[in-house]
Amino acid sequence: MSLLLRSSLVLAGTLLALAGAGVLKARAAEPVTIRIGYAAIGVGNVPYANGTSAATARAGQFVEKEFLDDPSVKVEWYFFKGAGPAVNEAFANSQLDFAYQGDLPSIIGRANGLKTRILLASGAHKPVFLAVPVSSDIKTIEDLKGRKVAIFRGTNTQLAVDKVLAAHGLSEQDLKVISLDDSAAPAALAAKDIDAAFGDTELIALAQTGLARIAYTSQGDNPAFGRYASLLGLDGFTQAHPDLTRRVVKAFVKAAQWSSEDQNHAALFDLWARSGTPVDVLEVFFHGDSLNYRNSPLLDPLMVRHYSDLAHQARAFGQIRRDVDIDGWFEPEYLDAALKDLSLEHYWRSYDAAGRQQAAAALP
Amino acid sequence: MSTMPTRRRLRGLVLPGLLLMLWEITSHLGWIDPRLLPPIEAVVHTAVGQASSGHLGADLAASLLRDLTGFGIGGAAGLAFGTLLGLSGLARGLIGPSFDAGKQIALFAWIPLISIWFGIGETAKIVFVALAAFTPVALNTFEGVRSASVKLIEIGTVLTFSRRQFVTRIFLPSALPSILVGLQLALINCWLATIATEYFMTVGPGIGGLIIEGRERFQMDLVVLGILVLGLVGFLLNRGGVAIEARLLRWQA
Amino acid sequence: MIATGLLASAVRSGPPAWLRRSFGRAALAIVLPLAVLLVWTASARWGWLPQQILPSPIEVWQSFVDLAGSGELLHHTDVSLLRVVYGFAAGAGAGLLLGTAMGLSPTVEDYVKPLFTALAQVPTLGWIPLLMLLVGIDETLKIVIIAKAAFVPITINTAAGMRAVPRGLVEVAESFRFSRFQLLRKVAFPAAVPQIFTGIRYGLTHAWMALVGVELLASSEGLGYLLVWSRQMFWLDQMIVGMLVIGLVGLLMDAILGLVEARLQRWRVAGL
Repeated sequence: MSLLLRSSLVLAGTLLALAGAGVLKARAAEPVTIRIGYAAIGVGNVPYANGTSAATARAGQFVEKEFLDDPSVKVEWYFFKGAGPAVNEAFANSQLDFAYQGDLPSIIGRANGLKTRILLASGAHKPVFLAVPVSSDIKTIEDLKGRKVAIFRGTNTQLAVDKVLAAHGLSEQDLKVISLDDSAAPAALAAKDIDAAFGDTELIALAQTGLARIAYTSQGDNPAFGRYASLLGLDGFTQAHPDLTRRVVKAFVKAAQWSSEDQNHAALFDLWARSGTPVDVLEVFFHGDSLNYRNSPLLDPLMVRHYSDLAHQARAFGQIRRDVDIDGWFEPEYLDAALKDLSLEHYWRSYDAAGRQQAAAALP
Repeated sequence: MSTMPTRRRLRGLVLPGLLLMLWEITSHLGWIDPRLLPPIEAVVHTAVGQASSGHLGADLAASLLRDLTGFGIGGAAGLAFGTLLGLSGLARGLIGPSFDAGKQIALFAWIPLISIWFGIGETAKIVFVALAAFTPVALNTFEGVRSASVKLIEIGTVLTFSRRQFVTRIFLPSALPSILVGLQLALINCWLATIATEYFMTVGPGIGGLIIEGRERFQMDLVVLGILVLGLVGFLLNRGGVAIEARLLRWQA
Repeated sequence: MIATGLLASAVRSGPPAWLRRSFGRAALAIVLPLAVLLVWTASARWGWLPQQILPSPIEVWQSFVDLAGSGELLHHTDVSLLRVVYGFAAGAGAGLLLGTAMGLSPTVEDYVKPLFTALAQVPTLGWIPLLMLLVGIDETLKIVIIAKAAFVPITINTAAGMRAVPRGLVEVAESFRFSRFQLLRKVAFPAAVPQIFTGIRYGLTHAWMALVGVELLASSEGLGYLLVWSRQMFWLDQMIVGMLVIGLVGLLMDAILGLVEARLQRWRVAGL
């Protein structure tokens, strides 16, 4: 037998053995591990986040408490410096079961064939901020033309920014865009390597240290500029473990409820501060919005319309290359069950597709 | 080296000495913002702090583990592949050209693809480091084996060695120097690749992570510390490799 | 039996041996890529791997056509190439100078080698964050990093090449009362060319690798930037196009270098 043939057989044998071992290992694992991803990470890479009910769920251990009496179920949290895009990579490899992720990356994931369901909203209506060096001459969005601007590509910030730019007659092509993550952008701004940066709490924090100033915020501007995010579940898990999914969603809804109580304001911000973002920054970030409004988990018609619009806009801005159908993507059954279970059907306000308040709570 | 007169050795210290002095002076006099270039004591202080808190050790251990695991896997694969190509003309004609083309793709260009193919966790990082080892080892092993087998064919007809003797007395000594060069190159490549994984792939303990963190937190003493550790480990790996190589070659002779 | 005999004689009386051999070689070389392409297409067609992990070859081709057609591909390639050219020129120039000095003068080597070795131990990537803070994230950063990446191997190999110039040759030159410059040009340099070229080869590979690395980290244009952007947006087909173009450019640069080396070899031999 030629050397080549012999080597090929050995290689094939090794690969088969490895694959077999992998299958056996998967078969043997009985205790279930629920892997939850979060499309952000705390300052200094601490595994905490802020500003959302999902972050509360993590810091307050709501999910872990839900499964306290169940020793066969483990909960693991994963935080991603690469934000939404990195979560998509993990989903594509089935390395996560649930994840908190922003609207644009979720749409990108769906456009690329990821099989997920949107289970509840979290971190809805987030504003976007534009920061510039203190001595900068940039005062309006129009001043950004031709300048070097940091925008974290693939995250829900990007889509919001594109909308803001469009409203001022600009597009990404009119700027020199550098994609920097949430810790690289402030550093670049402070070092004046870039002329401006779009983002949120990390920029507010930078402004508070006096190294930059906020030139624009979508707070108070057109509500359509707000960013959405949600908790998604990977079909592979939710279909195999609907019971566990129900309990996970229930835990998140509990966290959302706790985060919406005004009396918990101080405790909530302290919990969120574990991510390394100071309470003052969070106050600015939540200025003018009620906790109930920002922490609502409802999958109402407004949210559905928002995601639908986004899908079109993402296509128009060239961020996705094929049309995405959001029919069947939202899966409200777990949310509805949790709301009924916890008697929270009227706790949050639901908005219809035109943005008006509705009487009923959840999605039909 | 050890026989070099002291005067010559001292010459080598002049430039580094000047550089260190310059560093101290500019940092203390504030010619460069001390946030950008911390004085040497600050770096030492941080180093001690990091070491005693166990952080430095953990980072170093994580990086080294990644490095050596990837090196082991990639090196082994490279050895097998290079040997195959060196011995089998069919393999050479069939796989050789594709390998030649594929190795043109700059190593770092693989990072995004490997990230997507292997997702989060150590696997992606180790695969990348293994890739970094594979090419130099495969190329140099191929060269060594090829030239050795040519020699074998020349000598083989003359001597009456047993098969085992062929391999140990003629083949291996002939191929070994090239193989060792390949492994040496791979060692350096792998260290570079390990840092790359820490920069570009998921966050985790490691010296590369230490540097990035330092930069983002504007703690330049961390950055400088990271660079020093990088250099030191690189140097030790180099020296270690050379020493092992010398050992092996001496044993062969 | 008869058929093979006929075929054999047909083959034998066919094209000359060297053509048959190179045709045979080319045919053999194509087998593996074709097989890979086949399996790839089949996999995409029947979904053996999820589409996020492996787009179909047709998508990759379409992506290539789109990028090339819009001029984007050329633009990014241009930017990257320019950076490499400048950086490599700077690094190679400095490397050749320092390497020659170190190789020919033991005094210089004494002074410089320890510092040089120490700095060379730190992988190129390690310098980037520090450099970022000193020179920002503009073109300067990229050129300096690329220059550094090329500088180290070129210096080492040039020094080795110069150091290895046979003493005999130098003595002969001295007996002919060659000036320093003539010595360099007619004796040292030609003798060291093969070693120097090894250094240049490594230098170019490292320069190209450093380019991709620094573009992955902080850039708004270039082939490395194309990869980052594609990764964020999960456009695997575009990413693969980027990788292939990077490979292609690398191949071309290597080929050009090979030609230059061959030329120099001829000159070297002719000079001796």
